Amino acid sequence: MTHTLDFTDLQKGQAFARLPLAITSDEVEAYLESTGESSETWRELVPPIFLDTVAIATLLSTVAIPKGVMHTGQEHESHRAARIGEPLTLEMRVSTLSERRGAIMIAFEAEVTDADDAPVSSMKISVMALPDGVTA
Amino acid sequence: MTVPTSFEVSRLIDQPRVDRYAVAAGDPNPIHRETPEAYAGPFGQPVAHGMIVLGLVSEAMTSAFGVTWAETGTVKVRWRTPGLTPFTATARAELKKDADGVATYDVTCTDDRGETLLTGTATVRHG
Repeated sequence: MTHTLDFTDLQKGQAFARLPLAITSDEVEAYLESTGESSETWRELVPPIFLDTVAIATLLSTVAIPKGVMHTGQEHESHRAARIGEPLTLEMRVSTLSERRGAIMIAFEAEVTDADDAPVSSMKISVMALPDGVTA
Repeated sequence: MTVPTSFEVSRLIDQPRVDRYAVAAGDPNPIHRETPEAYAGPFGQPVAHGMIVLGLVSEAMTSAFGVTWAETGTVKVRWRTPGLTPFTATARAELKKDADGVATYDVTCTDDRGETLLTGTATVRHG
């Protein structure tokens, strides 16, 4: 995997991803099959947390995350349901970055918008990198 | 609309499920799979993705509110303990407040060892 950014180079406020999305029914099926959730409700709509999953996959493919970084928290707000196949845009940025006793805490914000640039979902991914030599 | 005061969903989360999730979610981190890195890591074995556990909370909310959850829901959680596969996870929601058409729930997910995996808050607009 080729990353475009290094974890240690991230800066507060830095935007690092803007990409078009169109969630397919095959992707939703595979997600639901893996989690065990019934697909009954999700024939036309995207399960909201699947959008978070896509944002995390984008983060993992864009930023080189060092070993030992923990996903500590997650926030999600649905502004409306996303429809399977509809054109969406995902934008991500570093919303907070702080250091305490050698541990680095970073929150990444992700926004999913539709073709009219209206908000669909807002998310926050919180991670913590412990100092070298310290494990969870 | 009268909202439910509590509801829950349980599911076995075993290694095959975690392996399938890693592919479906595009999260190939070796700490989640049967790899030397997982056994040499801080937990001494593979751990489930936290997002599978959060997915169970979302499923519980869907069971209570259906599409309204996808249209208006919010959730904010912190992970407390990693899920050591295999485990049976139970996501629970307990009504905390219902005001101005917004129901607020305390959400938790526990495993069958009695560990709390996740805590947080979820809301849904129903009015």
